Amino acid sequence: MSAIIFIFAPFVLALLLALFFRGKSSVSKFVSLALFASMLSFSLDLFTKLPNSGYLDLGSFLAVPAFSFTLSLQVDMLSTIMLTLTSVMLILVAFASWSMKNQALYYSLLIFFSGAIFGVFMSTNFLWFFIFWELTLVPMYFLVGIWGAERRIYAAVKFFLYTHVASMLILLAFLLIYKEAGTFDMTLVKEGMLLSPVLIWWLLFVGFAVKMPIFPFHTWLPDAHVQAPAPISVLLAGVLLKMGAYAMIRMVILLLPETSQQYAWVILTLGLITLFYAGFMALYETHLKKMVAYSSISHMGLVAIAISTMSYAGLSAALYEMIGHAFVIAPLFLIAGFLHHKTGSWQMGDMGGIMQKAPYISAIFVLAGLGALGLPGTMGFVGELSILISAMHSYGIWLAVVALGSLFGAGYIIWTLRRVIYGEMSELVAKTNFKMNIFEFAALATFALFIILFGLFPNILFDFLNPAFAQFTSLGGAL
Amino acid sequence: MISAFTILFAVALLSLLFHRSVLLKPLSLTAIALSFFFTLQGATVALMGFSSSEHIQLFELVLEVVLFALVLHEEEDITITQTLFLGASSVLLLQADNLLSFIISFESLSIISVVLVSYIKTKEQAEGAVKMFIAGSLATGILLLGLAFYVMGGGLLLEPLATGGSLFMDVGTFIMLAGLFYKLTIVPFHGWAADTYALVRHSHAAILSGVAKTVAALAIFTIFAPFLATHLELSVPLLATLAVVTMTLGNFLALFSKNIARILSYSSIAHAGYMLLAFVAVKSSYADEGILYMAIAYIFMQSGAFLALDSMKKHYGVSTLEELQGFSAQNPILAFFFTLQLFSLAGIPLLAGFLAKAVVFYAGVDAGLWWLVLIALLNSALSVGYYAWIVKTMYFDKLTAKEVFHAPVQFATGAQVILALGTLYFGVFAGSIFNIS
Repeated sequence: MSAIIFIFAPFVLALLLALFFRGKSSVSKFVSLALFASMLSFSLDLFTKLPNSGYLDLGSFLAVPAFSFTLSLQVDMLSTIMLTLTSVMLILVAFASWSMKNQALYYSLLIFFSGAIFGVFMSTNFLWFFIFWELTLVPMYFLVGIWGAERRIYAAVKFFLYTHVASMLILLAFLLIYKEAGTFDMTLVKEGMLLSPVLIWWLLFVGFAVKMPIFPFHTWLPDAHVQAPAPISVLLAGVLLKMGAYAMIRMVILLLPETSQQYAWVILTLGLITLFYAGFMALYETHLKKMVAYSSISHMGLVAIAISTMSYAGLSAALYEMIGHAFVIAPLFLIAGFLHHKTGSWQMGDMGGIMQKAPYISAIFVLAGLGALGLPGTMGFVGELSILISAMHSYGIWLAVVALGSLFGAGYIIWTLRRVIYGEMSELVAKTNFKMNIFEFAALATFALFIILFGLFPNILFDFLNPAFAQFTSLGGAL
Repeated sequence: MISAFTILFAVALLSLLFHRSVLLKPLSLTAIALSFFFTLQGATVALMGFSSSEHIQLFELVLEVVLFALVLHEEEDITITQTLFLGASSVLLLQADNLLSFIISFESLSIISVVLVSYIKTKEQAEGAVKMFIAGSLATGILLLGLAFYVMGGGLLLEPLATGGSLFMDVGTFIMLAGLFYKLTIVPFHGWAADTYALVRHSHAAILSGVAKTVAALAIFTIFAPFLATHLELSVPLLATLAVVTMTLGNFLALFSKNIARILSYSSIAHAGYMLLAFVAVKSSYADEGILYMAIAYIFMQSGAFLALDSMKKHYGVSTLEELQGFSAQNPILAFFFTLQLFSLAGIPLLAGFLAKAVVFYAGVDAGLWWLVLIALLNSALSVGYYAWIVKTMYFDKLTAKEVFHAPVQFATGAQVILALGTLYFGVFAGSIFNIS
């Protein structure tokens, strides 16, 4: 089956479901699960077909040679890993959204999003990449704006505008690349072809830094994360931020290695600031979901540090942390959203003693929290340790300060556990019934399983991740 | 010789006999379909002073599709006739290749535009129409003044515009451009447009801002591009300033408007700024495709947006953002079409508006004006502020209208479908524009 189906079929499906199956929520639910499952099997199947190095060509469509505007779909190890992660997240998010209201529209927007995100990871034409990159905003805008919490409208419009401005910088960089290199094909463009690599580097860096997000371009994220419905926060953290990191690796580090080498200190400094600033904010926060959001930003700071090493080990560690972060942060968001849904409060002060009322959910929350602070045996530990080692290897011993980031993490997570899960049972908790939909709980449990599985056996994942960059080292450049 | 022009013109005259009869619409639609067929066969006006190219032919086809949608939507007999007249003079203007034929067909388009809006029912419509008439007369005066200078300097009327010559000819050409910029609503010649587009009937505004303006932009580019390309040292700074001021002012004014028609009018002014970017980047070989793409995208999305607004006003009494709150619950289909066209105007991908902007902006980058393109891009991002706000009002706000229309109210779905398909088609298949030249 041609790969292009997974990009355009979701658009058509989403449209049909939204227009003609408005009343029938179960139809869109099962269609989306079937679609995401076939996306997962397609991505897994790609692993067996990938060549040892370089790209697997999945075909070119809609060729416009006069503008180098061709939808060329090519995947390598890096993008296949992202595709797999995305499809897993989509399936789990679909389960986690089981009891949403107005489901027909909700699931058709999810389906639309899946097509756009597959386009992002598969297309190797800059302009088409940009088209799908922008297209992910549209369903997110509606998902946050319609199903969000009290200040959803502010958050949705801010998210849309903020990231759209950043995208404009990216588009300008792509147009400049086309002028200077004569092609939009990212597999053909080399840094040497460019006349103004520094300008292009800065445009791309700022553009992608907003999406990741890196301090000081992160301000859209706490709002969007907090106001979005819980499953959409998961999608934001697990897929959309990863899209930024993916683009940062592919189009900043690997496309412009020499300029990146020159400015690696910028990425490193901002990454460190992000790590500590967001960690500090999380420590200070009493709003449960905002705390999780800042913890999410803090982890992306770690990813930025790992990317800035520009080494084989560092990039693998970054990729591992990206996946680990997706699995660790998802249950935290889902449970925070669930608690708000049940108790009607965001404040940690109103909660306490949830362990006594809802032991299973609390156990998963504790496990994910420990993963976020990097307890050995969870995914978080492996990610943070490998980033620490690669950073110290590249920049020297003083990068041991990264470990302090984990200390911050330990601070806010353990304090949160103390206030929310353990301690005295509050009145609000005592009178609330914490009954969770079975499908939503299944999604939570799956995330927990992944955290332990890949935490205990990181090799399963690293065996996939390492080749993603091994091929890049052989291609030369500054790596 | 049978061509799109003769068919449209003849049927426009003939249609006067069919007013108040059910045959009027079928007759007009058949005429437009026929003219589409003849344009496809390559039939041109075939008079002295007129010639066609593949670009023009493609745009004429698009124009005829849009005219079809406009007539399909229209319920008033007189407007249908005028739409046909306007189509005929648009075809003339597009194919004009010497100065005299250009000016005559340009004026005929202006006159028909004035006649169009002079079908007045309310005080507001009268204000809009009068403003347009005065601005149009002024524009004609300036245009003719420029022409007089041009001829005095030794320019010839029966030739294409000279690219170089005496000082008088150059000065005359720039004065002519100033007159023409009235029609294009370039700041500082934009004052009338914001009022006219917002005050006249929305289906008339669709024709004025969607069709007439776009046709004029493309025709002006065709005639003046060679001249601008040879006077880069003057035209680039001058037009670049105008483009920046036009798009920025248009966007900021739209941002602060509460009336939907006014937002669309200001956004139309901002789009004139983007079109002007192609004039600035004239030395790039992509400027031709840029303006063509922009024209094609714009004619679909602007007409679509205004026609959707027309249906909303007629059936639901919506004209301000407040009245639009929760509209998606009243008529999800119409809200969807409106959203689609608004997103296209905002430059959201997979819609024609995005690729049009990408090509025009690339022409700017190609001409070495990346800083200008950066301003345009930031403007485009700014414009999302009000387009997304309209969408927000329709989808995120709760329904507050006093009357809730439960029954599915009829609206011209056919017209909306045609225009939406056009926006989608040119948002995906760029080959139809690039592969012809």
